[in-house]
Amino acid sequence: MNASQRKKFNAIVILVILSIYLLIVVFPYFWTIIASIKEPSAINHPLDFNFTPTLENWKAVIQAGIPRQALNSLIVGLVTVSICLVAGAPAAYAFSRYKVGGNKSRFLVLLSQMLPPATLIIPLFLLMYQVRINNSLIRVVISHLTVLLPLVTWFLIGFFDEVPRELEDAALVDGCTNWQTLLKIVIPVVRPGLGAAALFAFVLSWNDMFYALILTSVKARTLPVGIAGYWTFRGVEMGQMSAAILLAIVPMIILSFFVQRFMLRGMARGAVKG
Amino acid sequence: MRSFRIPFKYQLLIPMVLILLAVVVFPLGYSLVISFQDFQLSKIGQQQFIGLENYINLFHNRSFWMALRNTIEFVIMAVSIEVTLGFFLALLLHNKATFLRGFFRSTLLSPMFITPIAVGLIFRFLTNSQLGVIPNLLEKINISIDFFSPKLALFSIAMIDVWQWTPFMLLLLLAGLESLPEEPIEAAQVDGAQGLKMVWYVILPLMRPIILAAIVIRMLDAFKVYEYIYAITRGGPAGATETMQYLIYRTGFIYFRAGEAAAMSYVFIFVITILVLILFFILRGEAVQE
Repeated sequence: MNASQRKKFNAIVILVILSIYLLIVVFPYFWTIIASIKEPSAINHPLDFNFTPTLENWKAVIQAGIPRQALNSLIVGLVTVSICLVAGAPAAYAFSRYKVGGNKSRFLVLLSQMLPPATLIIPLFLLMYQVRINNSLIRVVISHLTVLLPLVTWFLIGFFDEVPRELEDAALVDGCTNWQTLLKIVIPVVRPGLGAAALFAFVLSWNDMFYALILTSVKARTLPVGIAGYWTFRGVEMGQMSAAILLAIVPMIILSFFVQRFMLRGMARGAVKG
Repeated sequence: MRSFRIPFKYQLLIPMVLILLAVVVFPLGYSLVISFQDFQLSKIGQQQFIGLENYINLFHNRSFWMALRNTIEFVIMAVSIEVTLGFFLALLLHNKATFLRGFFRSTLLSPMFITPIAVGLIFRFLTNSQLGVIPNLLEKINISIDFFSPKLALFSIAMIDVWQWTPFMLLLLLAGLESLPEEPIEAAQVDGAQGLKMVWYVILPLMRPIILAAIVIRMLDAFKVYEYIYAITRGGPAGATETMQYLIYRTGFIYFRAGEAAAMSYVFIFVITILVLILFFILRGEAVQE
């Protein structure tokens, strides 16, 4: 083999390997879609592709509590993300610009979100009971802040690092106060970072089941808790479960296409520089 | 009289610090208090101080030791496969000559963005002995595997974790590869290094700190495994897949023994901290060498 043949051969091998892995990733999605359009009786014969597609499962899911649960997840996600940005962005700026706590503080911020939820859920549950926070959604927002506020802060530090110092200095010379400089000069520059952090945090909030399972009442479930409710295993529920799962995961996969590129950048900085 | 003003850099931190004090630090402290009490969720208001009894009882608690062992076994199995596979895939996707690179990257990363409970339910469905496509396909070639038998269950759960989180490793390592300095790689190319030699002698040593950081981040997250177990085995068969996160949940919220669960969670934090410190020393050692 000469050099160009060899190159072609390598390219084909790489393509084959990636395609096999792609198949492993995509097959579960594909199968869930198939199951969501099968009649309950057809689900009992997984290898039989001779079935008439039906939208019954989708109708049943939409008439059940799923849209309400999706709305609850959306509310929790939006409120959590807003609080994370308002409290996290100034903190990230402090760590980046003023090096508060030195370089170790960056890693400490990250570590604090690594506490297993199991260790926080018991005191959180009891404290919320004692101070009578009865609203399910507020309870879930509080629990999500324990994870997402440190994570958003950590994620944003890297973006603030990239803001040129001269920009801030010029604003200060022009008579802006520190707060004005942050709000009017720095924040607009890091807007892509804020957007990426917001999407990333929203995805994580939307996906949580552990806290939501324990902290919500039956009337105010979030979507992951809702789909966990389909755990009885009969053909009837499988089709509906598949439709409900797709409603929960497809929006996040679409969002992920927007956030991946920024995550790649944010992670490169965060992970490499610790 | 001069009024006292908080310096700007500390003003910036006030909202975050106040929130984290309220939702993380205070609850953790409260949890420590609970762990010294006989605290039943079914009898709130009747708790009694019992000193270290909850902790001492853990030593005789077989479920606790089993869950701790399962969790550590699970983390080692899952993370070692994820880092190997993730590094391999990252190398392929970093190669600019790879066909459809952007398409592969965005599709292969998708599992890390979906809710783990959905992943658990999908795989439970796929592997179900009657309804599942995988056992049905295997039957055609006369193979019958019970994926959730006592021997295989924990491994199967780890494989589900691999499906969902290898993409995360891939993302971190791809980011790492993209941030590598170009000079050493070009110099090696000039010296004739290619293919596997290049990976082993040039890229792997350069990537070492990043790989170790990725392992620490992923391990800390893998310790939280819960949803797959909730969706598929609920800790069974016979405790073979009960992990710490699940055991603490069960003790606290199914058996209502909050004091015992709080003690478990403190021991769990302690074990994780020790493991992370060990890994940190390895990381530091690597940094000093370079």
